[in-house]
Amino acid sequence: MTATERTATRKIATRFPKISFWRTIVTLIFAAGLYSMYARFALGFQATTNLTDPQPWGLWVGLGTLCGVGLSAGGFAIAASVYLLGFERYRPILRTSVLISFLGYCTVCVGMMYELGIPWRIWHPIVMWNRRSVLFEVSWCVILYTTVLALEFSPALVEKIPWARVREAYLRWHHSILIALVLAGTLLSSMHQSFLGGLYLITKGRLDPLWYTPYLTTMFYLSAIPAGLALTIMAIYLCVRSLNARVDMNILSDVSRVIAPLLAIYGVFRAVDLINRDAIQYLWMWREETGLFWLEIALLVIAPLVLLNLEKVRNNPQNLYWTCAVIVMGFMTNRLNVSITGLQASSGIYYVPKWTEFAATLATIAAAVVAFRYAVIYLDILPKNPPQQRVMALSAPGNA
Amino acid sequence: MATTRAILVDITKCIGCRSCEQACKQIHGFPMGSEMKLSPTALTVVEERSDRFVRRMCMHCQDPACASACLVGALKKTAAGPVTYDASKCIGCRYCLVACPFSVPRYEWTKLVPYVTKCDMCAGRQAKGQPPACVEACPVQASIAGNREEILEEAQRRILGDSKYVKHIYGSEEAGGTSVFFISDVPFEKLGFAAAQKQPLPLLTASALGDGPTVILVGGAVLSGLYWITQRRAEVALAEAREKSARERS
Repeated sequence: MTATERTATRKIATRFPKISFWRTIVTLIFAAGLYSMYARFALGFQATTNLTDPQPWGLWVGLGTLCGVGLSAGGFAIAASVYLLGFERYRPILRTSVLISFLGYCTVCVGMMYELGIPWRIWHPIVMWNRRSVLFEVSWCVILYTTVLALEFSPALVEKIPWARVREAYLRWHHSILIALVLAGTLLSSMHQSFLGGLYLITKGRLDPLWYTPYLTTMFYLSAIPAGLALTIMAIYLCVRSLNARVDMNILSDVSRVIAPLLAIYGVFRAVDLINRDAIQYLWMWREETGLFWLEIALLVIAPLVLLNLEKVRNNPQNLYWTCAVIVMGFMTNRLNVSITGLQASSGIYYVPKWTEFAATLATIAAAVVAFRYAVIYLDILPKNPPQQRVMALSAPGNA
Repeated sequence: MATTRAILVDITKCIGCRSCEQACKQIHGFPMGSEMKLSPTALTVVEERSDRFVRRMCMHCQDPACASACLVGALKKTAAGPVTYDASKCIGCRYCLVACPFSVPRYEWTKLVPYVTKCDMCAGRQAKGQPPACVEACPVQASIAGNREEILEEAQRRILGDSKYVKHIYGSEEAGGTSVFFISDVPFEKLGFAAAQKQPLPLLTASALGDGPTVILVGGAVLSGLYWITQRRAEVALAEAREKSARERS
């Protein structure tokens, strides 16, 4: 992109009143986030959170980690589809999905600094091993997969290096390890998504029967892929609407055609599991857990399956965007149900996060969104429409 | 494990004098005021439930959920019986608090460098042949310490010998067996004891972790196979296109 084009892109971007509205919001979130950061690291947990001994994990784990990782599942799904399964039609959105995953994992790593009581010991799991701990495996998957994502995404940055020699040498090396990277990424990501559910296997007898199942690992895995793809669709739609990106909307429809059966499979698994465990009785009890369970199922399974079945949703980008938003909301409800709602009764206390908990997580997510926006503007993530009426032959981005 | 240490608390004997609490606070250098609940400065407390005095403390499970959960191995079941905590390893993830079926570990939420706290059965004192401070302080021998086998036999003898006892030793099978046992004349659920799982909790996560290598091997093989097919297809398509264009040209 030349300098004139860039200014033109920026001009178009700033002309929308919507953007400046969002800028205000983002600024407010960052201001609140900065205070939370100060409070967390200068005043400690008690000043920042409503966490207590019966509720040692709250919003930072439920939203920051579980949702952050889960919604980053799009990257490995699309990368595996393109490179391993040969679905070339998804190549145009490959870089975007890898970027979303990479930034998602970055938010998780930043979130860890808030979440850990002694964050400067975050490296301990690298040298102090406990192979019996699910969290140990999770931490290794985060470390390795974040590295894989950084490497997968690196060409988008490296190709901007002005020295052709360095650039080409790196890209050649990258090309030679790419398939191995994608393969490792797919396996690591799959294990990671599952093990996050596995963390809660040890809460048998305390996590509500609506969510506790020996197949928590499978449930987490099966729900993460459609939710991650849904977030990818949302991000690409926003790039097209606000950042002048040029994407064939049929690709998004294609992705939504994959999401629907994945959600159906997940729904069937949940149903069969509830029947097998004799947990059906809990479905009709008048209590908060059951209400939130149905909210989760309605948003994550029922509503999207109905909506995605409609031609005018699948083929209309805006409708598709809102349907994906419903899926993402449903997914977040599920993760918060497992990590907070489902453990509430046995812990005997009612946990409502402090505002600083929300602010810290929101600010981290906002930072990722801002980073995403600038990456799409300044790097070759998605092809862009010519800023003026002038027709340009834009090449599709190369290998991700 | 013949020398594994254990504690037996006979709830029928406890008079609620809180000497155990005080002894515990004293050897740890905590402020001496009595507390209602377990806290970072109260590793054992005596609660009043159903007209009985019930002592709370770490159960020192045989196969502790906290030790399996701890990703850096800060919590360990020692061969001598106590479950100990190495603060220098802890990163503050608090998964042990999530994992413990008895809700025992406490976190120093008010501190800037917070650690996990819990009873370590006076592992240091026991190594020197001394009994745990709380047991030593008990004026009526409501708490006694000894080898786990002998302590269990003693508990068995008491509940069989006297009809007032509930015919269950709490801790004999909870969480797969612990090293702290309770016997009582009031049903345990009325005394606020958790209805813990009968199996060792680490088994629940072990099966999922055991699947890891299988996932890597099978998943890796399947994905490599699919990649090979994808490549082969592309090659065949390319070769066919070449042939076709060659035929058309000739």
